[in-house]
Amino acid sequence: MKQEEKGYNENWVIEAQDVSYAYEGNEEKALDGLSLKIRRGSRVAFMGGNGSGKSTFFLCLNGIRKPDSGRICIDGKPIEYTRKGLLDVRGKVGIVFQEPDNQLFSASVYEEISFGILNLGADEEMAGREVERVIRELEITPFQDRPAHALSGGQKKQVAIADILVMHPEVMILDEPSAALDSVHARKVEEIVEGLTGQGITVLMATHDIDYAYRWADEIVLMHEGRVLRQGTPDEVCADGRLLAEAGLEPPAVLRLYGCLKENGMTGNAEKLPRSTDDLISLIRSGGNKRTDG
Amino acid sequence: MLLIDKLSYRSKLRYVNASEKLLYAVATLALCVISRSVRTAMPVFAVNMVLTVWKGGIPLSRYMKLLLIPAAFLIAGTAAIVVNVSAVPLDAFAFPAGNFYITGSRAGLWQALKICLTALAAVSCLYFLALNTVMTDILGALRKLKVPALLIELMLLIYRFIFVLSETASAIRVSQNSRLGNRNLRTGIRSFGAMGTALFILALKRSNALYDAMESRCYDGTIRVLSKEYPAKASEITRVIVYEAVLLLVWIM
Repeated sequence: MKQEEKGYNENWVIEAQDVSYAYEGNEEKALDGLSLKIRRGSRVAFMGGNGSGKSTFFLCLNGIRKPDSGRICIDGKPIEYTRKGLLDVRGKVGIVFQEPDNQLFSASVYEEISFGILNLGADEEMAGREVERVIRELEITPFQDRPAHALSGGQKKQVAIADILVMHPEVMILDEPSAALDSVHARKVEEIVEGLTGQGITVLMATHDIDYAYRWADEIVLMHEGRVLRQGTPDEVCADGRLLAEAGLEPPAVLRLYGCLKENGMTGNAEKLPRSTDDLISLIRSGGNKRTDG
Repeated sequence: MLLIDKLSYRSKLRYVNASEKLLYAVATLALCVISRSVRTAMPVFAVNMVLTVWKGGIPLSRYMKLLLIPAAFLIAGTAAIVVNVSAVPLDAFAFPAGNFYITGSRAGLWQALKICLTALAAVSCLYFLALNTVMTDILGALRKLKVPALLIELMLLIYRFIFVLSETASAIRVSQNSRLGNRNLRTGIRSFGAMGTALFILALKRSNALYDAMESRCYDGTIRVLSKEYPAKASEITRVIVYEAVLLLVWIM
């Protein structure tokens, strides 16, 4: 244990080394020698097709699944698969599951949110205060007295996030949080996620929306067949069209548009690549003045 | 079932302390069943109706329709007490049928009436509880009464998943219908079977996923939750006690 702690760099909140995992009865490995490091406080988008191992890896990160081989360190400490060790890890790493109906077990929103923090050993008074705080913070108040089965998909997702947030995790994992949400609720979830980073929580998010990943993430992890195809900044990852194609993805729309505009001399050279449509629009507007080819 | 659930969330008495409502319903129910007297049954029935419809704001038509369900059983059940087949005509009514009479006694009629009234009064107690108390609040009250945790956890999960699974079932049904899965009896039966299979497998999958999700929130085999409590009011409890005492007196005297 001592030796391992020596090489520990406190910037890395998660370190995975050569992690492999196969589901029982499956020949094929869901994770096949996956290695990566996640910087504390960063926002990381996990991208890759269905079955590329994102969800399995997430389940490994808080000890729900135990890798067949390889090692996962949280805060520099390898996960210990004992009662205490798992409790510790699950208090640090929380997962918001993709399907809220598989996560919400109580019909009462209040009871539901109180579950995690009580499991962490908080007394009832403190748990009550925390639950109320999260309910206010995530704007759950208007529907807090409704039963879970009467909530919309977006509201259920808000409760699912509150479930985890109440536990004050260091790392919050969101598995396709915007799947099946209308754009109003998807934006709401984006706002909430924005707030998480503000609180210093490391956010890992699986998503299929490369435009969102490109404008939101500090890093993108491209996954393919249980391995990391590429990990890097959005610019690095998205610049490589071949790599994206291998993961079954297309480059972000804003990049393609920017490339095309530049090729045709319709915009100036940006110091920084535009991350979002708004970036591109302001670039075009300011680029119009600098244009010299007229 | 689903209707009762919906109504309970809309009840104006929803935020009254659940233990109070439970106390009221169970005490009144016990008095009804033990006394078996029309004198207690009638006021109980009337008071519950007033409480549920007027105070609770449950629409009268819905309430009546819900009462019809047990009434149907009661009529079928008490018919056997009222109607006899006998060689001699009894005192209340008698219709000759061949060598026998289809007949009934006054005592039998009186007994049937008594059973019907007490049963309806008893049901009205349960309806009062069910229509004005949200299921999760009832569970909270039971938790305080130290009902075994295992039972409460089972009820909690079953209650939640009745809705999840029934949603899934109706989605499957719609998709079957849209592919003519129910065009005739034959396909109907086959579709129904297929839905059952699919639901069973889905339920298993869901329970695994739920277990993972709960474990990831440090679940250790006991579900601990904080229930929201609405304070009990001394005035309300006093009124319940006085009411039960009056009922007791009415019965004894």
